[in-house]
Amino acid sequence: MCDHTNKNIYLPYLATVEEIIDETPDVRTLRLVFQDEKVRDSFNFRAGQFCEYSAFGAGESTFCIASSPTRKGYIECCFRSVGRVTEALRRLEAGETMGVRGPYGNSFPIEDFFGKNLVFVAGGIALPPLRTLIWNCLDLRDKFGEITIVYGARTEADMVYKRELKEWQERNDVRLVKTVDPGGNGSEWDGKVGFVPTVLEETAPLADNTIAFVCGPPIMIKFTLPVLEKLGFSDGKVYTTLENRMKCGLGKCGRCNVGNVYVCKDGPVFTAEQVKRMPMEF
Amino acid sequence: MQKYLSQENFSTLLEKLIASGKRVVAPKLNAGTVLYEPLKNPAEIVIDRMPRRSGKEAFFPICEEIISYGKEGQKVTVTDIDPARFPETVLVGVRPCDAAAIPMLDAVFSWDYRDEFFLERRKKTTVVGMACTEADDACFCTAVGLSPGDPKGGDILLTQVEGGGYLCRAQSEKGEALVAAHAALFSEPDGHKSLPLAEPQTEKIDLQKVKKWLDTNFEHPDWDSIATRCVGCGACAFVCPACHCFDIVDEGTEKSGTRRKNWDACGFWKFTHHASGHNPRDLQPKRYRNRIMHKFKYYDDKFGQRLCTGCGRCIRLCPAGIDIAAIVEDISKK
Repeated sequence: MCDHTNKNIYLPYLATVEEIIDETPDVRTLRLVFQDEKVRDSFNFRAGQFCEYSAFGAGESTFCIASSPTRKGYIECCFRSVGRVTEALRRLEAGETMGVRGPYGNSFPIEDFFGKNLVFVAGGIALPPLRTLIWNCLDLRDKFGEITIVYGARTEADMVYKRELKEWQERNDVRLVKTVDPGGNGSEWDGKVGFVPTVLEETAPLADNTIAFVCGPPIMIKFTLPVLEKLGFSDGKVYTTLENRMKCGLGKCGRCNVGNVYVCKDGPVFTAEQVKRMPMEF
Repeated sequence: MQKYLSQENFSTLLEKLIASGKRVVAPKLNAGTVLYEPLKNPAEIVIDRMPRRSGKEAFFPICEEIISYGKEGQKVTVTDIDPARFPETVLVGVRPCDAAAIPMLDAVFSWDYRDEFFLERRKKTTVVGMACTEADDACFCTAVGLSPGDPKGGDILLTQVEGGGYLCRAQSEKGEALVAAHAALFSEPDGHKSLPLAEPQTEKIDLQKVKKWLDTNFEHPDWDSIATRCVGCGACAFVCPACHCFDIVDEGTEKSGTRRKNWDACGFWKFTHHASGHNPRDLQPKRYRNRIMHKFKYYDDKFGQRLCTGCGRCIRLCPAGIDIAAIVEDISKK
């Protein structure tokens, strides 16, 4: 998975912004195509891995690869504009160039989930790291049992991938439960109202032969894990991704560690069992 | 293989190395401060004062270009760095505590992904260490299992002898090659007696016990008092021979510029600050805890040794008077 072909490990690939999708007023998806044909063919990644994306002159930022490895020829990233780099990435127009280093980190062991039911639980802008896996699994639909997605955001407007939520809602082989925080629902809201942990408890997916995936803000994860436990999910059957600040992505620059675990090299995908063994420093 | 090198021949050796076009880096005065810097002539070397910063910057500069980029119209080009950036280098007069840190950095920069900026320089550098004959109050190499005459990390170790000159021990192929290339300058060591080595006034710390305490006490009320004086200035990391944290930043405009690796420090609040505003190490004690944990536990967990050589620079320079040797010793007695 590591790319050792470049002698300079900090040298980014060049990628063209092929498509821009505004998910919310401040969250944007960029679909990227590598400019070098050889890279386009050889760039292989697994769901869960991340890249360092750069806007030249502004710097690099770390996001997961939000598209599925089953969708070839491009990758997508999804980010909220909050700082120098993300503002600069937001200024890029279709056809313009940015830099990409990666793919880095570990990934979801998807083969271990064959034959199992899957429950995805995501909050706000934390859907992208699960969306790569959701599409990966939907593109191999026969290999899995029931698929349940519980997705919540503060308001309807804060939900990302709205078109895909609609698609999942319409599929009869996916159970989508979407929710907004109390007060976040508009007059035409057709989902639930309530916080993700509560809605997950009401949804009550069966834990038997099921793997759960949880991504969201720390507060959501904190209250969701006990709900999963109550529903009968053991910690080894619950996966999450950690999202610490990173620079190199290669285990050198020294900032993403949680205890002795480097999120960039040992993660970003961990089971709840692994997370519970870590010191509370994330 | 031990040889004798007279003071005069030492100067001649430096002169020849400089004349051959090699970069010769050694402690020298720069505006009143001793730093490891390229020598222009042999007389510039200062061997009786501890350099303010460590020797790591010969391999890992404070600020280093890692790519350059340019944009013309819509077309962006990225340029890799020129390998000529890494000249053949001889690093001379390196303190044993600085030399011992070099293999520690090797482990980090070659762990899976190879950082050729560090490793190329490393490959092209011969490290000539110099045993210490003096220690100050801050020195504690003996407390962490090293010594003023420790050869670790060097290709050659020089030891000063009575009446001037050095005993020279080559301890690697690179070291032997350097001696062989200037064989006429060296003679047999018989009859030369080395000066007494420095004796740092510190007891050996039981680092196993330190590690054991750190393994189980991430949460402990003492962390607040241990770090209470830390002002988060980052000086300790900048002078440390083993600290290797860095930042990656772009310098320039959208049209042209460079991307650089700059030294960074885990003592800075922004080091772990998320875009969301969340900060896993939001308070200074948590940041100082990471410093101790990284040096005496996390690095050990990964690479089987400690990330501290007892050079004492952080103690000498801390504006708040924090003494890492005393802290670690206290931990060993808990």
